[in-house]
Amino acid sequence: MVQLQDVTKSYPNGVVALRGISLRVEPGEFVFVVGPTGTGKSTLLKLLYRAEVPTRGRVFVGNRDVTRLPAGAVAGLRRSLGVVFQDFKLLPGRTVFENVAFALRVIGTPREAIRPRVQRALDLVGLADRAHHVPGHLSGGEQQRVSIARAIVNNPSLLLADEPTGNLDPNSSWEIMQVLSRVNLRGTTVIMTTHNKTVVDILRRRVVQLADGQIVRDQVRGLYALDA
Amino acid sequence: MRLTRSRRHPIGFLRGVVEDATSFAADAAAGFRRNGLMTAAAVTTVMVALLVVGAAVLLGLNLARVASAVEAQVEVVAFLQEGLDGEGRARVTSALAGLPGVASVHFVTRDEALRRLQDQLGSGGGFDDLVKTNPLPDSVELQLTDPVLAPTVAQAVSRQPGVSEVTYGGQVVDRVVALSRSVRLVAGLLIAFLAGVALIVVVNTIRLTVIARRQEIEIMHLVGATRWFIRWPFLIEGLLQGAAAAGGAVIVLLLVYALGVARLGASLPFLPLVGMREVLEPVAAAVLLGGAGVGVLGSMIAIRRFLAT
Repeated sequence: MVQLQDVTKSYPNGVVALRGISLRVEPGEFVFVVGPTGTGKSTLLKLLYRAEVPTRGRVFVGNRDVTRLPAGAVAGLRRSLGVVFQDFKLLPGRTVFENVAFALRVIGTPREAIRPRVQRALDLVGLADRAHHVPGHLSGGEQQRVSIARAIVNNPSLLLADEPTGNLDPNSSWEIMQVLSRVNLRGTTVIMTTHNKTVVDILRRRVVQLADGQIVRDQVRGLYALDA
Repeated sequence: MRLTRSRRHPIGFLRGVVEDATSFAADAAAGFRRNGLMTAAAVTTVMVALLVVGAAVLLGLNLARVASAVEAQVEVVAFLQEGLDGEGRARVTSALAGLPGVASVHFVTRDEALRRLQDQLGSGGGFDDLVKTNPLPDSVELQLTDPVLAPTVAQAVSRQPGVSEVTYGGQVVDRVVALSRSVRLVAGLLIAFLAGVALIVVVNTIRLTVIARRQEIEIMHLVGATRWFIRWPFLIEGLLQGAAAAGGAVIVLLLVYALGVARLGASLPFLPLVGMREVLEPVAAAVLLGGAGVGVLGSMIAIRRFLAT
């Protein structure tokens, strides 16, 4: 599903975010990427949805060589994956339904196909009854579920989540983890960066630990830290 | 793989296009409303630049008309040596008529030449002396097959026996051509400068809209909207601004020109001015094209940076 080959990423300001990383994620996997702030977790995800291009090495998503993707083909890549952020990135002036529908509308989905698909996505994240609220009237956890609904409404085969529980209280974090697990059970590959030790230790999924831009641990059914 | 709208069903595609077009137009109109003052400033600036464009076109058209009017009147005049008898004059005249490039010749006696001069200068008196001692020579006027040939023919004429001096209207044509060239140069520089200013103002106006909608743009990028899909509303907003400016400029230009033609035509009837009807199309075309170009280019530049990610 995802493959990185000896990937190095340094930014123009001299910061080296990733140093020679190689990683392979199979379809249907659920992977936690853990490590302290500034170790390149977000950069890793950005390489996958082509917000950044590696300085060296190659990145594959599905059968696409993301490193060699021409600018015009980025839209195609983005339609094949979903991205969720710590700060939700919802449009404040639009309802929950419109926020999710927006993702379909701007890629040219016919209007009659939009409603049932948005409905299904909202059902999956458990927010069907909130469809006509605006994000400002929802809790943080609910807003994050809206953003997940938007990320999966297009049925992507890969879901990238960058610190999705970073702004949330423990209860809301569990709601999010339940939703992500459900998405994963439907066959979608999920890669999630996190600081949330509890979540990682309880769910016992594959853990990739980064330190100083390198992979220092890659463990099936891992814990947040070895010495925990 | 996901099917695109067009491959799925054509009617859905058509309806989608109509929906998109209406939503684009609504977005563009919203931009117009949101940044009213900036938009007014942009439209005014572009309009001023377009006024210069239109004025240059009008001036150019009229100078071309003057040049061709002068050209049509170009004739070579050969002044004959004094003291030729009737036979000599006839010989020279027929020799001149046989030169290549000469369409017809007209012999003008010195008396006739004096009469013409009197007509042109009016009867202010003082001509009585001249009539007695007419200083003008006999001359032959040559109509040419093509005004471009004037210098060549003039040279050939000067070599003919019996001819003392040659003049032709070429100097006037040269001057008109030189004038329209410098008008074109000055107008070009002025237009380039004003176009730059107009572009900067348009870019800044559209950028306000882009910034107001940058969250939407970011999300559009994220979920895989194509760059053209994102660009369209802004291009239309720029186009509308350019078109509004162009419309204003065309109206002002034509009003001023109509007034000017009426005034000048009355006081200088011999000036060959280009009529309103002939002027409308080239001026409107140049101004509308210029307005649309500045608008579209401006919005392309304004959104370029936001399309990068």
